[in-house]
Amino acid sequence: MSQTDPAEASSELASLRAKADRLAAQLVEEHKMAELGRLLASIVHEINSPIGSILSNNPVIIRSLEMLKAALASGDRAALEKAGRQVETCLSLAAIDKIACERISEVVRGLKTFVRADSADLRKADLNKQIESTLKLTHGQLRGRVAVETDFGELPPVACHASMLGQVFLNILVNAGQAIDGPGRISVRTRAEGGAVHISIADNGCGIKPEDRPKIFAGGFTTKAVGVGTGLGLCLSKKIVEETHGGSIDFESEVGVGTTFHIRIPVEQGNDPAARAGGRN
Amino acid sequence: MSTNQRSSVVIVDDEEMVITSVRAYLELETEFEIHGFTEPEQAVKHMESHLVDIAVSDYLMPRMSGIQFLTRAKQLQPEVSRVLLTGHADKQSAIQAINEVGLYQYVEKPWENAQLLLIIQNGIERSKLLRELREKVSELDTAHSSLKNVQKRLLQAFL
Repeated sequence: MSQTDPAEASSELASLRAKADRLAAQLVEEHKMAELGRLLASIVHEINSPIGSILSNNPVIIRSLEMLKAALASGDRAALEKAGRQVETCLSLAAIDKIACERISEVVRGLKTFVRADSADLRKADLNKQIESTLKLTHGQLRGRVAVETDFGELPPVACHASMLGQVFLNILVNAGQAIDGPGRISVRTRAEGGAVHISIADNGCGIKPEDRPKIFAGGFTTKAVGVGTGLGLCLSKKIVEETHGGSIDFESEVGVGTTFHIRIPVEQGNDPAARAGGRN
Repeated sequence: MSTNQRSSVVIVDDEEMVITSVRAYLELETEFEIHGFTEPEQAVKHMESHLVDIAVSDYLMPRMSGIQFLTRAKQLQPEVSRVLLTGHADKQSAIQAINEVGLYQYVEKPWENAQLLLIIQNGIERSKLLRELREKVSELDTAHSSLKNVQKRLLQAFL
């Protein structure tokens, strides 16, 4: 084989770099889809009750109205009385249908803010709202097992890629839920601090082992069973918070007591990531 | 425990809307007595003093799961038919639990009214038959032991 021409080598290097970038982007997308798949399972559970109710209520209401129609036509007193009672039932079923539809549309709305692919879109967003809609998505996974407490401070609108930050919150909330074996608690707190917004997400789960702590933000590291975690969640979260938003992400953890993640996002996005980073603990 | 003529159905779901919908349908179609509870603990309390033909329960509930509740229901009333009404997402774990505690039926949400009604009707018939069977067996037992007594006295009299 002849010696490689330097120009050829550098073009090969460039193409390899482009390939690596493409693979990295693909990995990110795959992680997002895996997360979404898991999320969908709990969303299905979340909307099955309201859908079941609506499907059950509809024929009952129709039957009742038919009874009422027949009773009105016949003018029979007993039939009218029975139909009258049935109207009360219909009213309560209609009220339930409304609640059920609202529940379904809330979940769908939450899902929309999560999957909106306009990552290039830097907008002013209310991070409390973003956290709230993320919590709606995790509701099904945590319901009945983990109590979620929120303490939202007044926040200025933050110039950010809201759906990407939603992904960060989701990763940390899902991790928190998985760290808790049996019943537990997750506390979400937001505060405006100087030029940044500080979000802390605390769980009273199993905690992170000291030897795992330096590795948790590394890609491919997971303590979860095969098929449960991709090992990319926190790695991506760090990228989104620090590289995309010039913020910071860190954590404190004690085995058997729990873990708290701190995310700080600067309110304004400047050009120099170092200058705009929020204060640290 | 009171024995009433009307068949008694217990529905447990932490979502009020499910109870209301199932109740409205069953009240329209049947003469069953419907008792709905959003807290499984209250349903347990009810079953401590009222005879129930069928218990239908949600799976995922705070504090007490549907499986825990239905296990408790069987301890209280061995003949009660037990049905799990659950969302699709927890199907696998639900099926495992069903096999472990031996439930009568499993219904997925969103449920179909006609199917649910059929399951409830069959479940009621099943528990009534089982209760009848138990009564007959205990009648047979009594008859058997009194026969044995007679036989014993006969033997004592003649030997």
